[in-house]
Amino acid sequence: MDIMQKLTILADSAKYDAACTSSGVTRGGPPGGKGMGSAVPDGICHSFSADGRCITLLKVLMSNACAYDCKYCVNRSSNDVPRATFTPDELAELTIQFYRRNYIEGLFLSSGVVRNPDYTSEQMIRVLALLRYEHHFWGYIHAKVIPGTASGLVRRLGQLADRISVNVELPSEASLSTLAPQKKRKAIFTPMAEIKQGIAVSQTDIVRYKHAENFAPGGQATQMIIGATPESDYNILRLASGLYTKYDLRRVFYSAYIPTVTDTMLPAVDTKPPLLREHRLYQADWLMRQYQFDAEEILSEAQPNFNPYLDPKCNWAVNNLHFFPVDVNTASFQALLRVPGIGPKSAKAIVIARRHSHIGMSQLKRIGVVLKRAKYFILTDDLPCGIRLNKQTMAKALIDPGSFSLGVEQLSLFDRPELKFLTDTKAPAIQEVREEAATCLASKL
Amino acid sequence: MPGFKIVTNPADLVYLYDGSLAGFFCCVHRSFYERELPIDILPEAADQPSIYPRAYISTDQAKAEAVRASIVKNLSDRVIELTEHVFLCHHPHKEQKLLRFLIFAFGIGPKAAYMLGEDAVADVLEMEKHLLGEVHLLRGFIRFADYGEMLGGVITPKNFVLPLLAAHFANRFPNENFMIYDKTHKAVLAFQGGKLEITMVEEVEFSQPSEDELRFQSMWKNFYKTIGIEERVNPRCRMGHMPKRYWQNMTEMREYL
Repeated sequence: MDIMQKLTILADSAKYDAACTSSGVTRGGPPGGKGMGSAVPDGICHSFSADGRCITLLKVLMSNACAYDCKYCVNRSSNDVPRATFTPDELAELTIQFYRRNYIEGLFLSSGVVRNPDYTSEQMIRVLALLRYEHHFWGYIHAKVIPGTASGLVRRLGQLADRISVNVELPSEASLSTLAPQKKRKAIFTPMAEIKQGIAVSQTDIVRYKHAENFAPGGQATQMIIGATPESDYNILRLASGLYTKYDLRRVFYSAYIPTVTDTMLPAVDTKPPLLREHRLYQADWLMRQYQFDAEEILSEAQPNFNPYLDPKCNWAVNNLHFFPVDVNTASFQALLRVPGIGPKSAKAIVIARRHSHIGMSQLKRIGVVLKRAKYFILTDDLPCGIRLNKQTMAKALIDPGSFSLGVEQLSLFDRPELKFLTDTKAPAIQEVREEAATCLASKL
Repeated sequence: MPGFKIVTNPADLVYLYDGSLAGFFCCVHRSFYERELPIDILPEAADQPSIYPRAYISTDQAKAEAVRASIVKNLSDRVIELTEHVFLCHHPHKEQKLLRFLIFAFGIGPKAAYMLGEDAVADVLEMEKHLLGEVHLLRGFIRFADYGEMLGGVITPKNFVLPLLAAHFANRFPNENFMIYDKTHKAVLAFQGGKLEITMVEEVEFSQPSEDELRFQSMWKNFYKTIGIEERVNPRCRMGHMPKRYWQNMTEMREYL
């Protein structure tokens, strides 16, 4: 099989992996002057695929000849698909050639389980070692840890890669044992804990010793599949929040389940992937990492699922109206971050600008703050009492336009009683749904 | 001496200069010393017939140095950086806006660059943002082809981004020779034997890519097509992240134009 065919098969098998980021590492150039490669802290997107996702790394599997039979996966051993395996040399050469042409920022290497987890990891390590030591390649490398890999091999992967990740795959142990019986919970969380330990040790050693080794300087991440199993949004968010605090993860990725195989335990093959739900999870995830929200503030036992019409931050604001209005001239950075429409960039700009002059609406506009939603929640110099408009107008401004861009059927996937009318009348016009949602929201304000 | 007020009276006059940063600093010098605010400042090459009289400001290195030194001393390094950045922008009235910003800044002192709500400041910051945004995108979107003795790539940016791309690629590929041809501004960034150079050129002719090169190009195109998930296709999202004007120079996107 020629390398072109292999690339097609192995990229096709890797495409459902959500994580494609090259952030978190700074490297000015190849250490020692030989070879090539650097990394910038924010990462660089080199292209965007037809689905609008960033392409930054050469995302491939080492092999899709998988020994496991996880029910949700295209590469399950009982599925009839073409199989291929890269040799370490082929893959290293391909990475270098793509990198030189500025197609990619580095390599994202995962794999199906060939023979057993240890053998697979050894193959992956050979690729990384070739890249780092033969080709002197110092671009970004993200490697997946196969659950069940011996800890010595995980350690080796971490020394060679910039970021490593163990997939939790599914949001609960029950789901894992029904859909991926060969992957054990312990086999996932043990390496995760080891990696956390490795990173912590390396971070203190680097400060102390000149030749301390770097261990996964880009941190560790994970991903899980959303919509294949019955967990609520609240369950998922709680899990993610736990992962962030317990294992110091940099990122948790959520991947909307796209049915590829027929199985009685899985959603039917014609089910639409829950893209809006995935979007809401990312928004909530962002709130936890960048906006200092707790999972409990975003969702709760009583409200276990996201509001399809409002983004999670707006939803929090509407349910906590007593917190507002916030005075932009005196409020703390954290309080500014709670205002719908004001993010870390705007909040920082406000804090800088207000040191030198008082801030009114026109100044906010010039600073670059988007006022469409923010204006209902703030006080400024020229608007000391805030804006009071009729509730319908405000509700219209608050409703997330993103809710509708993915199509009305995405809303019906939320399956909540108050949305019943969506499924009752066949495909109502977006405009109608919007009006309805605004009226519904206005009554709550 | 922060806080000194520069009285500038609107003058029915257009400054012409040679298009260099030193030339622009000389315009600033003239404006401050003559206490006049010109209607516009234009590079000679961009001059078009109009009713206003022209004043040609010749470039004098000593004056330019004096202005730069004064900015460093009375304002801050950030103001110099901002000025240099904005000067690379494509905005047709960037010089005028920069002059307005400098007049404002000398009146206020070092903190001027942080008064984000002021018109004069917001204008130049917006231009800088546009420039740095384009630089960031192009770090990813430039495509090189291997022409044997060097890697070559073409860009068609709105702003003059080459000076800000140079260090990134030189650090990344210290052992390669490469060149980036900026078609819009007719300039070439060349990195050869460890030396960086930007030169103005009329036209650059690339030789035919080798068979090996074409093989990698088709592998990349193939990878691009494969990695997209059909069930999630979202052209608007893609276009938002990767505006169409970049596609013409990207190996994998050209066929979608």
